[in-house]
Amino acid sequence: MTPTTTRAADGVRPPDGTTPGATPGATPGTTPGTTPGAAARGARPAPAAGRRQGRRETLAGYLFLTPWCIGILLLTLGPMLVSLYLAFTDYNLFDSPRWIGFKNFRDLFEDDRWWTSVQVTLKYVLIGTPLKLAAALAVALLLVKPRKGQGFYRSAFYAPSLIGASVSIGVVWRAIFNDNAVVDKSMSLFGWDVGGWIGDPDWALPTLITLTVWQFGAPMVIFLAGLKQVPGELYEAAEMDGAGRWRRFRSITLPMISPVLFFNLLLELIHSFQVFTSAVVIAGSGTNTGGPGDSLLVYGWYLYEQGFRNLRMGYAAAMAWMLMLGIGLVTAVLFRTQRGWVHYEEDAQ
Amino acid sequence: MGAGRWTAKARGVRVAAAVVAALGLLATGCGGGSGSGDGKVTIRYSWWGAKDRAELIQKTVKLFEKEHPNIKVKTDFSEYTDFWSKFNTQAAGGNAPDVFQNSYAFLRKYGDKNLLLDLNGQADAGNLSLKGFRDGLEKAGDIDGKLLGVPVGANTFAFFYNPDAYRKAGVTVKDGWTWDDFFAAAKKVRKGGGTLYGASDNANVMYLYDLYLRQNGKAFFTKDNKLGFTKDDLTEWWGRWQQHAKADELVPGKKSEQAKPKASISADLSASEFTWDNFLVRFAAETKTTLDLGPIPTTDGKRTAQYLSSLMLSGSARTQHPKEVAQFIDFMTHDPEVGKIMGYNRGIPATTAQYDAYRPQGVDAKIAAYEKSVSTKLEPITPHPAGADVAEAAFLRIYTQVALGQTSMGKAVDQFFSEAESALGS
Repeated sequence: MTPTTTRAADGVRPPDGTTPGATPGATPGTTPGTTPGAAARGARPAPAAGRRQGRRETLAGYLFLTPWCIGILLLTLGPMLVSLYLAFTDYNLFDSPRWIGFKNFRDLFEDDRWWTSVQVTLKYVLIGTPLKLAAALAVALLLVKPRKGQGFYRSAFYAPSLIGASVSIGVVWRAIFNDNAVVDKSMSLFGWDVGGWIGDPDWALPTLITLTVWQFGAPMVIFLAGLKQVPGELYEAAEMDGAGRWRRFRSITLPMISPVLFFNLLLELIHSFQVFTSAVVIAGSGTNTGGPGDSLLVYGWYLYEQGFRNLRMGYAAAMAWMLMLGIGLVTAVLFRTQRGWVHYEEDAQ
Repeated sequence: MGAGRWTAKARGVRVAAAVVAALGLLATGCGGGSGSGDGKVTIRYSWWGAKDRAELIQKTVKLFEKEHPNIKVKTDFSEYTDFWSKFNTQAAGGNAPDVFQNSYAFLRKYGDKNLLLDLNGQADAGNLSLKGFRDGLEKAGDIDGKLLGVPVGANTFAFFYNPDAYRKAGVTVKDGWTWDDFFAAAKKVRKGGGTLYGASDNANVMYLYDLYLRQNGKAFFTKDNKLGFTKDDLTEWWGRWQQHAKADELVPGKKSEQAKPKASISADLSASEFTWDNFLVRFAAETKTTLDLGPIPTTDGKRTAQYLSSLMLSGSARTQHPKEVAQFIDFMTHDPEVGKIMGYNRGIPATTAQYDAYRPQGVDAKIAAYEKSVSTKLEPITPHPAGADVAEAAFLRIYTQVALGQTSMGKAVDQFFSEAESALGS
């Protein structure tokens, strides 16, 4: 808090001597002539007035936050609590929910399709995320050095992550990987005839994974920011000691950007677990199944199908909470392990 | 620092104003009123289908609005599966469309939940005529004495085949042929040297299995809302198709998945397929190959056990305008102009007025001839309990996994029974 912003600093004006324009009458009794002494006093505002001022500012702050607070209470927290309740009920959207205790959760473990959806999602997350981050880091390393057209390349690589999760890109992906489409035809040229990837139970998921990997732009930008923070002296010193490129990358770059890597990993994992739109669009609207032989039945899709198509809202709510627990667990494990591999600069000093 | 130019008081006022404005936005966003104030009544109408259907329906809606200047119709449509997801959400929020496309399979599901308007009252009040329906179709939407839907079009199950391929293989499709004949024909076509498979693997089509069961004195669903067959029955049915699929006579699971959204026959993979007769319209748009409609194979040489199923219009039980909804349904089912515009898009028109108004040509003429040829064989429809749609989807999906080699027959049959029983039980 600087003195110039506090009314408590009796008669203090901004250095240029103007009266605060918005409130001509708010500082009665002050005259331009008193400025120097007042400034000295103003440096130590009266405690009681300061507290009142602080409270008012806090209040104003909260007032500014009101729309978001209401949003969180009404649109996030409220529904979450309701969904927690529904997870323990049998609820079909139309009749009132009936309490059934842990039955939904017990049923989940006996539901083959639920296990399928868990498997599909884990494959997607465990293959897609590392590939995506590797691509992001690789391209960030290429783009970190100043070169011609750098701005263009950065934007070009970033663009997919802005649009990649949209329905239209899903449609494009579907068109590219479909039977007799671009990918199928060009691969046939090399004698590798898979047919349409989308309709092939073994190739549908890889198609979805390529879509997420292609959206490496967002983590790339974060990596770029991290790479720019790495002090150049370190590289110079290492080079003098005869460290090669790989050595420099392993011993300087990786440890130095490990907080950024951690952040990206966390964000991407949480994000990947909730994949929905692209899977549904790639499988094609109007299908009754989660892609060919349920090969694209990601967790979010199965949840949606149970809730909104089969009208088993209680079951879907239980699924949602299991997902939440799963993501929570993964996050907790990551935070536990970070001490071993994430190096914050403060620790080093 | 710009904040220094404001006092907290002024800031407070501004903040308060911002909050009020934000809340106001929220409030107006939530309370979209429907009162139009000029004496006009607005009803919402939604249906499922592709773009071609939407274009035709828009024309009929315009016609209706012209005849009923005091009623405005707001329309929207989506694909089949999306339609029902959307409908469920809207209905759960008490905001279902006033009038919407429905089918027999859903009458009990939503009737049990009191979401459908009983149209008997409106018929008694003279807002909706139940006269002039073909083949007793006015009863099609009658569930336990309540009229929950009025059919706009009816269709029946059919055997689709490629006449050239069949002729080349020396097979003739004739009334009263049996399942043995059918599988033998598929084999002949396949071994005949062409590139086509003898038939699409339709073991996963609930409606086809229903016909087979009916021919054997059973049905897919019983009157008391249960499955009408045993695990052994299903193992036999699926097993029989699998046996022919493994002999390379039927389209392999993977190929038919890759052909989607086309059916195997319209993707020129197979020489025959079973589905609803009005699909001929769609297939004609998807393939240049000429296709014909033939009789469903029988078990005893006589009975196909076919029935008419229909697309219907239903009203929402919560509509504010039941009278206008009834007038709308009346117009859409009886008006000859509407019949001319829609053609056989939703099946053969349900009323004689619309049936006579439209002169079928091309593929429509084939469908008309087919329905005429089976009209004497038609029987009452199998009851569809609540959850029938979920059971149908499971039937389709689980056999497909068998065809893809992802699961064993025994496991698949068990899984179907467990999913279907839980869907029908709730």
